[in-house]
Amino acid sequence: MPDLKMDMTVNGRRVTKPAGPHMRLLDYLRDELGLTGSKEGCGAGECGSCSVFVDGKLMKSCLMPVAKADGAVIETIESLAQNGNLNPLQRAFYKTGASQCGYCIPGMVMAASAALRENPLADAEEIKERLGGNICRCTGYSKIFEAVEIARDVINGTLPATALDAPGAGQSYIGNNVRRLDAPGKVTGALRYAGDMVMPGMLHMQVLRSPHPHALIKSIDTSAAEAMPGVACVITAADVPGVDGFGVFVHDQPVMAKDRVRYVGEAVAAVAAEDLLTARAARDAIKIVYEPLPAVFDPEAAMGDGAPVLHDYAPDNIVKHIPIRKGDVEKGFAEADLIVEQTYSTQPVEHAYLEPEAGLAYVDHDGVVTVVSPSQNITHHRHMLAKIIDKPIHKVRFIMSPVGGGFGGKEDMIFQGMLALAAMKTGRPVRLVFSREESIVSTAKRHPARITCKMGLKNDGRITAVDFRMISDGGAYGMSTEGVMRKAAILSCGPYAVENVKIDTYGIYTNNTPSGAFRTFGAMQAQFATESHLDICAEKLGLDSFEIRRINMMRDGATTHTRQKLGSVSLGRVMEAAEQASGWQAGPPVSRGLARNDLGGPGNRRPCTLGARLRPGSEQLREEVA
Amino acid sequence: MSGKVRGRGMAASWYGIARTATIDRAGAWAELDDGGTAKVVTGVTEIGEGILTVLAQIAAEELGIKPEQVTIGDNDTARSPEAAHAGATRQTYMIGNAVALACREARARLVAELADFWDVAEDSIEAFDGEIWAAGSNLKMTMEEAVDLCKKRGVVPLGSGSFSTDCTGLDPVDGSGSPWQAYVYGCQVAEVEVDTVTGEVQVLGMWAAHDVGRAINPRGVEGQIEGAIVQGLGQALMEDYKIENGHTTTHGFAKYILPTALDVPQINSIIVEDPDPLSPLGAKGIGEPALIPTAPAIVNAIYDAIGVRITSLPATPEKILAGLAAKHQGDNISREAAE
Amino acid sequence: MLTCETYLTPATLGQALAQWAAAPPGSRLIAGATDTLPWARQGRAGDVYVPALVDVSKVAELQDYEISGGRVRLGANLVMQRFLSDETLRAHLPCMPHCAIWFADDQIREQATLIGNIVNASPAADGTPPVLAMNGTIELARLVGGAVTRRSLAVSDFVTGPGTTLLADDEIVTAVECDCLAGYGGAFEKVGQRRSLVISTVCTACLVKPSADRTSFEDVRLAIGGTGPVPLRLNHIEEFLKNRPVTRDILRQASQMTDGLINSRTRRAYRGDVLSGFIERALEDALADCGVHIPSDSVREAANA
Repeated sequence: MPDLKMDMTVNGRRVTKPAGPHMRLLDYLRDELGLTGSKEGCGAGECGSCSVFVDGKLMKSCLMPVAKADGAVIETIESLAQNGNLNPLQRAFYKTGASQCGYCIPGMVMAASAALRENPLADAEEIKERLGGNICRCTGYSKIFEAVEIARDVINGTLPATALDAPGAGQSYIGNNVRRLDAPGKVTGALRYAGDMVMPGMLHMQVLRSPHPHALIKSIDTSAAEAMPGVACVITAADVPGVDGFGVFVHDQPVMAKDRVRYVGEAVAAVAAEDLLTARAARDAIKIVYEPLPAVFDPEAAMGDGAPVLHDYAPDNIVKHIPIRKGDVEKGFAEADLIVEQTYSTQPVEHAYLEPEAGLAYVDHDGVVTVVSPSQNITHHRHMLAKIIDKPIHKVRFIMSPVGGGFGGKEDMIFQGMLALAAMKTGRPVRLVFSREESIVSTAKRHPARITCKMGLKNDGRITAVDFRMISDGGAYGMSTEGVMRKAAILSCGPYAVENVKIDTYGIYTNNTPSGAFRTFGAMQAQFATESHLDICAEKLGLDSFEIRRINMMRDGATTHTRQKLGSVSLGRVMEAAEQASGWQAGPPVSRGLARNDLGGPGNRRPCTLGARLRPGSEQLREEVA
Repeated sequence: MSGKVRGRGMAASWYGIARTATIDRAGAWAELDDGGTAKVVTGVTEIGEGILTVLAQIAAEELGIKPEQVTIGDNDTARSPEAAHAGATRQTYMIGNAVALACREARARLVAELADFWDVAEDSIEAFDGEIWAAGSNLKMTMEEAVDLCKKRGVVPLGSGSFSTDCTGLDPVDGSGSPWQAYVYGCQVAEVEVDTVTGEVQVLGMWAAHDVGRAINPRGVEGQIEGAIVQGLGQALMEDYKIENGHTTTHGFAKYILPTALDVPQINSIIVEDPDPLSPLGAKGIGEPALIPTAPAIVNAIYDAIGVRITSLPATPEKILAGLAAKHQGDNISREAAE
Repeated sequence: MLTCETYLTPATLGQALAQWAAAPPGSRLIAGATDTLPWARQGRAGDVYVPALVDVSKVAELQDYEISGGRVRLGANLVMQRFLSDETLRAHLPCMPHCAIWFADDQIREQATLIGNIVNASPAADGTPPVLAMNGTIELARLVGGAVTRRSLAVSDFVTGPGTTLLADDEIVTAVECDCLAGYGGAFEKVGQRRSLVISTVCTACLVKPSADRTSFEDVRLAIGGTGPVPLRLNHIEEFLKNRPVTRDILRQASQMTDGLINSRTRRAYRGDVLSGFIERALEDALADCGVHIPSDSVREAANA
């Protein structure tokens, strides 16, 4: 493939470096010009983190073959700050706390820049519409909107420039809205994440993943891959010198599949090569013979007789069962005036952090095997990796790279082992960057849950008994399932004083994508059921939603369902605060939406639909400016 | 014809802070440095929640300097003390407290030298925002001068701190135990608009009240609440990792649908502070707790609007329309029965 | 991932046709590339090697638009954003700004072409229904004996099934032409699960011209997408509405005329449920767009409670 001749202007400078015909503008900017501020969040034009100006128009550079940009004038995030000074928009992002993990932020700042260039008087609705092509997973967007509006006003002179200054010290730095320390590096695109890092002599890794949900590996033939020019090494489970197993609670997962694969997307082999294209070609040249095994996809089926067993140590496919028993639920139900039973279900959820997994590994001059990655638990990862590669723990080093979103999804040591092995085998640094699809297919999800909740209540609203049962698909490997089941069980029945509870949570092995740690660790699934259930019961008893919860709420000194005595319990305060702030009109939840008079107040946004810039009047604003 | 109907719902929640049913731990080092700045090194895992800034504020407050003068070292198993992981809403609690303890020790070293130099009682010395002084006197200097003085006397003002929790495991039969030493509580109200023609739901307003113990950075707390609410909204209405016979059909963001700027409600956050009595700072946490009440509040609001009870997430337009159709059939049957 | 051996950027239509004819099998033609790059990814086409990419976005004859004889000729390289930013196009094609705003976000609109959307022929294509409603014809060019030769087809004939059209192997689309409908009210509805970046489940394009006294329909154009293998023009509803009074009852009757329209492979019940409501809403919004308002329907809202 002959290179393409390029001649374009990038951030004010003329650039004529040749490009590979396979490159997108994004690759050219990042890999050839080292402008790593523009990110690849998805590679498919969905997330906007790759946005750059092309001849003055904002475009998604992951959707642009590089040859299209020949002759064009390109501006990237790196062009916005002048001499290290943030421009007003960047200062506004800094001021409002609009940047959290920072990975979407360069693209978001570019989208905001485009919005204000197109319409310097854009109002909140139009700003939102013009940011509609950019996804953020951390901030909930609110402080981003605030930043763009403040920037607009400062640029237009409606607000003084001091509106962008740091808050004063006041009396204390506790309770102070100090601006985030890491924001300047993020709003300029200067901060490098693992996928932006390069080291001299660095190799590129690609991973071969299982196409089967459950299969024996009969043979692996890496000879064609090994023979390819540019390939430095190929690794499989056979390359693991130590005890091959990792996991947050149980070390049931090998670095690469050993003898069998248990889910579609499981790593089976990996290649390290001089460049990405060679690594991919070599990966595709590895020949694996599989013998498919019966697979199980439903947790209840997996618990049943005759189901395929995923891990020998768990013949019933139960990763963990957490029981909680207090009082006597039979007696409690017998005392109840009302018994309500309902089943609920929640779905598997993808973390969708904007930064796909990435990392580098190398062996340093002292023989220390070093892994640089956005891991959420380098302490634990080092422990496990030391045993896997059979090295003393102080000869293994984990360095955390900036994390472009975690939420629990970067807690599992899902790729660092492969990087370490390849670095050891080649003696060179190795980098792996997941594609978005690879990240979605192969990494942990929030546990889906099937919950049966049975609640007994007196007519006055007091809960006399709760029977709570949750079955969760843990997928092919244990990951955080044990802890998720534990936390779900403890918190399941909510902050309510109930004498009689019977709680069981089960995490089950199946041949689905593994479930793992994800923000709330089982608590939101369980409390989704309980909080829905309370409203169903409230309706039947004619009690307002707040009222039924007040009747049952834990108070200072309450005893929990695990029989712990609490100190101060602020539940009453937070309920009162939410009730007051929303102007809640009391009444039983009998679907009284049409009859309520607390709707449509301040505190809501307008219902929106696309077309803010098409509203009559929005053109007028533009003409007035001209 | 608008076909659009509004409703409101609420949900309450609780959550435990730091690692579950085990003894959690975190360590930190602090050093008052040249220029009246400081170095803090701890195994902190900033994942976007703002912990670096929170730690800088804590260090600044404890040491008497400005947050921007605090440098927080990288998290590196070969360079920083263990503070364990980012998860369990533990970092402000575990690491914040460890950093506070480390800073107190560093400051104590400095104060001992300064008290001796000024010949005042150690507990009369106060510091804030780069200045240090002895209360009830006109003795004062900058932190830069104080550090310089301390070092010239041969003492490097550094300290270390370790913080742990007092929890127990759960009994394997009845689950009894004390899994956390700090709990937080929350409550959210949602106002939605349901389009009865398409089944689409917009969340127009959320009111979120959360006990965080003590808000080190209130804007940071709001940012966590806002981010959590939008994730909760995503799970309630649109996100669904679909998998059939072990193969996913939602490979990318075209099929796995995430909330965009246009889907976000107005979020009204109310920070409640019920300080934790067992820790030096009283702060608890917010990262995960804020996510819990959102989906049930939204689903309860949908019920309020249209009388359809969604028991399986996500509450897609299909499920909403199917629920409406079933409800109308049911209503028709009851009406016929009544006639 | 898309890899290619050669990337060609012809400057004229003649060059483009010659390069396209000479391109090895498996080569692809691109304009905006906003469909092609996402297609070459895991979960869809996977890694794709293409011998040649022929990029027509710089071809002189495909730029811009022209108005004459009550029709507007839209060059194949016109990006979707033009339907929002160009005052003349907004005036002459009243439903296109609404279609554009739903089509995709600003960044993609600066890159994606209407013609690309039509030629891709997804059943969920947003661009095709408005073009059908505006009596769209598509112009195709090829080389015959070395000379550029053109032919035109009705868009309704051109799109034949999911992903299939009557585009011959050696042809390039040069333009699409539709009615100038200045003075009409336009609307476009799309349902998805969120407000932005939505892949259509059902979409409706509508244009209306009220009578001079604004009490009846003088002309109605209506087309739907996402309901079957190809987008459909709803002539029967248009005919029904012509000269009928603009009332809620008439709108209601028109929107019920949906038998047999749903032929999608999936989610049939949902699409059917939504379609009637959408047709009514699209008519109402198009009327509002040219200043005719129908009182809202308290009977229906009570019924939905």
